[in-house]
Amino acid sequence: MAPVQAQVLLSPAELSYLHSSLSLDPPIRPDGRSPTQFRPLVAESDILPGANGSARVCFADGTEAIVGVKAEVEKSQWQPTPDKETADVDMDDEEEEETGVGENSWVEMSIEIPGFRDDDSLPVFLSAMLTEALLASGDLKDRLYINQRFHWKLYVDILLLSPPLSYPLPLLSLTTHLALLSARLPALKSEKEEDPLFDDDWEASTPIYPRSGRQKPYSAYLDKPPVTLLVMAVGQNIIFDPSKEELAVAEAVLAVSCAASQSKTSEAVRLLTIRTIDPPSRLTPPGIPNLLNSATGGVVPVSSTDAMAQREAMSLLGVWTPPRGGIKRNLVGRVLKIVVEKGGVAEEVLEALEKVEVES
Amino acid sequence: MTDRRRINAPSGGTNAPVFVNPATPADSLASQRPTRTRAPDELRKIFLKTGLVPLASGSAYLELSPPSAPPTKTLTPSRTSLKLTCAVHGPKPLPRSAPFSPHLILSTTVKFAPFATRARRGYIRDSTERDLGVHLETALRGVVIGERWPKSGVEVIVTVIEGEEDGWWGDGLVGGSSGAGGGGWGLMSVLAGTITVASAAIADAGIDCVDLVSGGVAAVVRDVDAKGKGKTEEGLQEGESLVLDPCPAEHKDMVAACVVGYLAGRDEITEIWMKGETGGAADVLLDKAVHAAVASVTVVKEAVKESIEQKYKDVLSSGQGGFRGPNITKEVEMTG
Repeated sequence: MAPVQAQVLLSPAELSYLHSSLSLDPPIRPDGRSPTQFRPLVAESDILPGANGSARVCFADGTEAIVGVKAEVEKSQWQPTPDKETADVDMDDEEEEETGVGENSWVEMSIEIPGFRDDDSLPVFLSAMLTEALLASGDLKDRLYINQRFHWKLYVDILLLSPPLSYPLPLLSLTTHLALLSARLPALKSEKEEDPLFDDDWEASTPIYPRSGRQKPYSAYLDKPPVTLLVMAVGQNIIFDPSKEELAVAEAVLAVSCAASQSKTSEAVRLLTIRTIDPPSRLTPPGIPNLLNSATGGVVPVSSTDAMAQREAMSLLGVWTPPRGGIKRNLVGRVLKIVVEKGGVAEEVLEALEKVEVES
Repeated sequence: MTDRRRINAPSGGTNAPVFVNPATPADSLASQRPTRTRAPDELRKIFLKTGLVPLASGSAYLELSPPSAPPTKTLTPSRTSLKLTCAVHGPKPLPRSAPFSPHLILSTTVKFAPFATRARRGYIRDSTERDLGVHLETALRGVVIGERWPKSGVEVIVTVIEGEEDGWWGDGLVGGSSGAGGGGWGLMSVLAGTITVASAAIADAGIDCVDLVSGGVAAVVRDVDAKGKGKTEEGLQEGESLVLDPCPAEHKDMVAACVVGYLAGRDEITEIWMKGETGGAADVLLDKAVHAAVASVTVVKEAVKESIEQKYKDVLSSGQGGFRGPNITKEVEMTG
């Protein structure tokens, strides 16, 4: 049985009001934000001394998350490699021993949400989504390679401290991003195929996501971990970082992960993953129009099937009807454009997150 | 979480040993990699039949045509195909302990049989199987008209009898890579098949839907020897091409893939799962996946039509006055 999600206690009339104000042009959000504006947040990074990297983000609505990144040295599984003697027939020249290729299993993520078992669908879905984005950006797992016999195993442990008042995806994604930015691995002292030996000077450690300059006011990151944005659509409007009340009337919800692009192309960010999320609005109770309500002078239908047939036949403005069907295809394209374009939302978010560590 | 009630096999899974003749150098093994013989926009043939599980209120079986591989010297099949069954139980009343729900409660389960893939799967659902279940639920939730069944639940159970591999079995030996996402590509074909088979089973169960949903998958692949294969679309890089219904074993390097659950009648998408570095081609990839879904919905339609004709055979043959539905003597009103 599906876990009973914390339902928003809004009446059909309130839902209908919210829906119509969000479908205005420009939309009027309950907290007065613009469609692309995020909720204010407090963020700090590198807070846990026992972790390789950590961060804490607290949203204005009271949801708070802590992420710790820990790395352990682990033995790699033996991989048969093409023989040196037959190297002349080796077709994969790009795969040199110098730059090892990482495996997906080297990154492990766990999400703890109060009130949910760890095998409930929400934590499983969230961790699958965040892991996928992390691995899709490519370089991370290759940086965990030490030599043919050893690798780093990266554990990303996400702890949501507050109950999930709104869909926790943006919060968890931003916190993970900050924690990974601050994560550092001890510097390697041993040579290529020796058993790994590390420098115990923490000052000499290397960040997982390297920066172009080594001095304290760090210059820009060469590569950054991905962020996952939650986007919802109401009518023709596209709204970012929806709150719980806004999600209750969403017609479609998408989670879009992107990372900064390495090449200077026309687009500022690279798209990594897209997933649809089941909007909770489908489970809201429908409103009953006055025509079918005896208290307002209407005629109550005789049977429940009759009521269903009459209710579905009318489409009244101002009476809440839970959305059906899916997302229009052109809407997906518009969402992607807004996220990815130069000066778009993703670029803005990535830039804002970079400032967190610069100041701390 | 471990199951303490039975003695389980090793958690790491066991592999059937694959012996490589040491006399053959790596490149002769590499030449055994299967190649795609279909056109880039051609799907594998789909076999879909409904009503195979008599105890379930609706069921369906889907199979992608097995590869007609040229005879090889090894016993290892060069590529895998997909075999799925789906059973739909319900709508049935919720248990008394469950809280009131004004909607149909949809619960979806996707389970790989232990023997479905090369590495053995356990009996307990792991996180990828749960994740697929959530994807399937998202795809179906928008389609089923839930308001018509208050206080009831329906279970959609998909069993993967044979799952698509994430890559070719020889990849580990000759040093091929499974691309940027690093595997997981087989799951995308499995999800597309899962959506299609569940849609047919729900139609077979007679649950009201806004439209028939169908799954489609498309991928951006980078083939070294794919000169002239596939059209170079806008936004793709050199050597990349778009294929519908990819078989991960046939492509050395998969760059990105996209699964959609598509409602052909309404031109709407209930489920998107895209991953990998699409570059600027995300739109094109999505459109291609929709093309694949449109192709598979024709199979669903045929299968559903066939099952309806089978069910109401006597009505159709005897009654001249048109289609009247099954001979139910008295309508049963559900109370409680």
